[in-house]
Amino acid sequence: MTGRYLAWRLLQVPLAVSGILLVSFLLIHLAPGDPVVALAGEHGDAAYYAEMRAKFGLDRSLAEQLGVFVANVARLDLGVSYVLGRPALDVVLERLPATLLLTGSALVVSTLIGIALGVVAASHAGRGPDVAINLAALTLLATPAFWLAQLALLALALHAGWFPIGGMTDPRSSATGLGAIADVARHLLLPMAVLAAGEVAAIARLTRIGLLDELRQDYVRTARAKGLPESRVLTRHALPLAMLPVLTVIGGRVGHLLSGAVLVEMVFGWPGIGRLLLSSVQARDIPVVLGIFLVVGLSVVFANVMTDLAYVRLDPRIRYR
Amino acid sequence: MRTRSLVFAVLLSTVIGACAPAVTPSPAVSPAPATSAPPTAGGGGTLVVAIGADPGQLNPATTTSGATHTASELLYNGLVGLGPNLEPIPELAESWVVEEDGKVYRFKLRQGVTWHDGRPFTSADVKFTFDEVLLKFHSRTRASVGPALEAIETPDASTVVFRFKHPYAPLLQQLDVTEAPIIAKHIYEGSDPSENPANLAPVGTGPFKFVSYAPGTEIELARNEAYWKPGLPKLDAVVMRIMPDAGSQVIALEKGEVDWLWGLPGPDQQRLASDPNLKFVRTDRNPGGSNCIMTVGFNLDRPILQDVRVRRAIASAIDRQQYVDLILFGEGRVAEAPISSGIAWAHATGLAMPAFDTKAAAARLDEAGWKAADGGIRTASGVAGVADGTPLKIDFLHFPSFARYGELLRAQLGTVGIDVALKPLDPPVFADTVFKARDFDTNIISYCNGTDPEIGVRRMFVSSQIGPIPFSNAAAYRNPEVDALFDQAQQTFGAVPRTKIYRQIQEQVVKDQPYVWLVETAGTRAYRLACMGFAPYAQFAEAATCRP
Repeated sequence: MTGRYLAWRLLQVPLAVSGILLVSFLLIHLAPGDPVVALAGEHGDAAYYAEMRAKFGLDRSLAEQLGVFVANVARLDLGVSYVLGRPALDVVLERLPATLLLTGSALVVSTLIGIALGVVAASHAGRGPDVAINLAALTLLATPAFWLAQLALLALALHAGWFPIGGMTDPRSSATGLGAIADVARHLLLPMAVLAAGEVAAIARLTRIGLLDELRQDYVRTARAKGLPESRVLTRHALPLAMLPVLTVIGGRVGHLLSGAVLVEMVFGWPGIGRLLLSSVQARDIPVVLGIFLVVGLSVVFANVMTDLAYVRLDPRIRYR
Repeated sequence: MRTRSLVFAVLLSTVIGACAPAVTPSPAVSPAPATSAPPTAGGGGTLVVAIGADPGQLNPATTTSGATHTASELLYNGLVGLGPNLEPIPELAESWVVEEDGKVYRFKLRQGVTWHDGRPFTSADVKFTFDEVLLKFHSRTRASVGPALEAIETPDASTVVFRFKHPYAPLLQQLDVTEAPIIAKHIYEGSDPSENPANLAPVGTGPFKFVSYAPGTEIELARNEAYWKPGLPKLDAVVMRIMPDAGSQVIALEKGEVDWLWGLPGPDQQRLASDPNLKFVRTDRNPGGSNCIMTVGFNLDRPILQDVRVRRAIASAIDRQQYVDLILFGEGRVAEAPISSGIAWAHATGLAMPAFDTKAAAARLDEAGWKAADGGIRTASGVAGVADGTPLKIDFLHFPSFARYGELLRAQLGTVGIDVALKPLDPPVFADTVFKARDFDTNIISYCNGTDPEIGVRRMFVSSQIGPIPFSNAAAYRNPEVDALFDQAQQTFGAVPRTKIYRQIQEQVVKDQPYVWLVETAGTRAYRLACMGFAPYAQFAEAATCRP
C-alpha cells in the first residue's frame, strides 16, 4: 500500500532531521575553537570577549544552549548569525538557489549522460566503445574534483578562453531578462561539468553492469524470441530494471554532490552554501552551520524518500507495506 | 511506457526545480536606493576588484575583520587619513590642535560634507560613532583608546574635543578609516549597530556610494558625485568581486576579468613579471592590519624554555634570510627589531639581535646543559626543572597556512640537535590552545604592529596581556620595567621622546628574547595597466581611472 508507506516515510523525515541536528549541535559545540575569538580577532580586551560570549548565550551551559536551540528550531528560528548579525536561516536560504542550480543541473546532466554512456557501453560489451568508456570513467573517478577544477580553469577558461573564470555573473554586464539567464548559464557550464564528471563516470559504470545483468535474464530472451528489435529490447525491457541500482545511487548522490559543491564552489567562486559552510565553519558561526546542516539533511532525506517511491514505479515486483 | 514517462517526469521536475533560480540569479540583499543611481558624470570607467572573502556585512566600525574593511573602506572616511609615512593628514577633520601636552585634542571638522543620503555630517556623528560603536564593538580601538579616554565633547556642530585622563600620544594614528571609520548617527541611533539593516546597505561619506550587495558574489559601488574632495572620485563604479580561491583570482587578472588584486603570491609574481598588461605595487599595509612581523613565541612557563641561553641558541640557529627567499619569495625582509620598520620613528636600528651562527647556537646549548649525542637529539644534563636524559624536543603550533614556516624551522633547528614537532591548528583552535590552555612550547603568529606601537606591539610584552586574550602576550613575558616603559611611552607626547622609550623597550626585549622576530611580511597589489592612479591602501581607488 503505497499511500500508507508514503505517510510512514514522510513521518520519518522530521525524526531523521532532528537526529542530524542534535548530532551536529553536539559536535560543533564540543569541537575546540571559540566563536567569539574567531569573530573578534586580535586586539580585544577580556571584557569585550565576555560581553560577546554573553550576547550569543555562549556563557550558558551546553544543556541550556541546547534547550534554547530546540525551542528556537521548533519555531523555525535558527538564531542570529554571529558574524553577519542577521537571521541564520535567511543567510542560508539566500545562498541556497545558487547551490540548487549547480547541484541540480549537475545531477540531471550526469544522470542523462551517464545512462546514455552506460547503454552504449553495455550494447558494445567487450568492444572498442565499451573499453573507451570504461577507461574514461575510471580516469574520471580517480581524479580529485579540486584538481580537475583547476585544470579546467587553466585549460578551458584561461588558455582557450571559452568560459569565464568564476562567479555566477559578469561584473561588467548589466544584462536583464534572457541576457541575464544566458550570462548565468555561461558561468554555470564549467563548474557544473566539473561537479558532474565524477558522477557521470559512476552512473555510466553502474548502468553498464546493471544492463549486462538484465540482458542475461529469461524475459530478455523471450522478448528477443518474439522478434523485437534489439534497441527496443534494450531500452523498453532491460533498461528500466537496470535503473534500480542506478536510482539508489542517484538518491545517495545528492549528498555527495552537495559535499562536492564545497570544493567546486571555492575554486569557481560560485556563491552557494558550500562556500558559506566553509567560511562559517572557519568562523565557528554555529547558527549558520546548523542552518546548512538542516537544509542539506532535509535534501538528502527527501531525495531518499523519492528514490524509494520511484522503485515502485520502476519494478512491479516491489511493493511497500 | 508508464515507467519511462515517470522517469522523465522526475528528471523534468528536477530540472525545473533546479533551474528556477536561474530566472532570478542570486538576488542582491538590498536593491539600490533611489539616490544611488549610476552617476552621469565621472567617465573614469568601472574598476573590478577581486576580494578573497565575503564580508558578510559592510559596517567597518563594528569589526576589525579584514574582509569587511577591504569591502567597505571606500564607503567611509576617518577623521584623519594617514600619509605614506603614517603621518596624519586631514580627512573629515580639516585641522586639529593638541592641548595640555596631549591630554586634549581639538578637531575642526570639514564644512559641507554630506552623508550619501544627503544629510549633513556633524560633530554629533563623531561623538556617536565613538561612544556607541567604536568603543563598544571595534576591538582594537576599544582596547587602546577606550581606557585612556575621559570624554568626547561637541561644543558646536563642527568641533570635536577628545579629552583623555592622561596625555595620550598615539591618537592621531588611530583615527583613520581602518581604526575609526565614522558612521551616521541618524542611521544607527537607537539600534544594535551590529544588527542594523544599514550594515547591508551602508550610508557613508566616502568617495563611493553603495549600490548593491549579492552575498557570495559581489558588491557594487557607484561614484559619490557629492564627495568632499573636488574632482574625485574619477571612476564611475567599483565592483568588488568575491573570489575565494587565490589561484582563480590570478587567472582572472591575467584574463582581464578583474583589474585589481589585493595580493599576488610570490611565485605568480615571478611568472607574471614580464606581462606587459600588469603592474605591481609593494606595500606593508593592509586593510585591517599592517606592519606585520612573523614571530616565533616561546612559552616562558615551560622549564625547557626558561633559560635565556636556550632561547638565544634557538634564535641563532635560525637563518632568517631563508624565510624571505624560500617562503616569501622576496615579499618581505628579515626583521631587524621587535618593532616593524614600517613605524620608522619607533623602529630601532643596530640592535644586538642574535646573528645566524649554528656554532654559537651549539655552544649556548652545551653551556645550558643540553648535551649533543653524535649528531642526534640533545639531552638534558643538569638543566633546572628538567630530568636528566630528557630529549630536547619542542612542539611548534601554527595555522595550517603557516606550515612552510614550521617545516623550515624544523629543518634548521634539527641541525643543532633540537627536535621540533609541528602542530597545525585552525585559527580558533590555535587561539584556544595558546592563549587559554597555554598548552605549547613554541608557536608562530603574524603580529601586526599597526600604525603605532600602542596598537599592535604593546600587547605582546606587557604582563597585563597574559591570559585568555587571543593574540596578546603569547610568551607570557613579564618584566615590570618593560611594563612601566610602555605606560610611559603611551603618556609621553612627541615622537622624539617616544622614540627613545621604544628603543629602550626593544633593547630590553632583545636581551630577554621571549620571541624570535623572523621576517617582516609585505603585500603586493597587482593591477592591469588599463587602470591607474591607485594608492595601496584605504581609499585606494579614490583617484583611479580605468579605460574601458
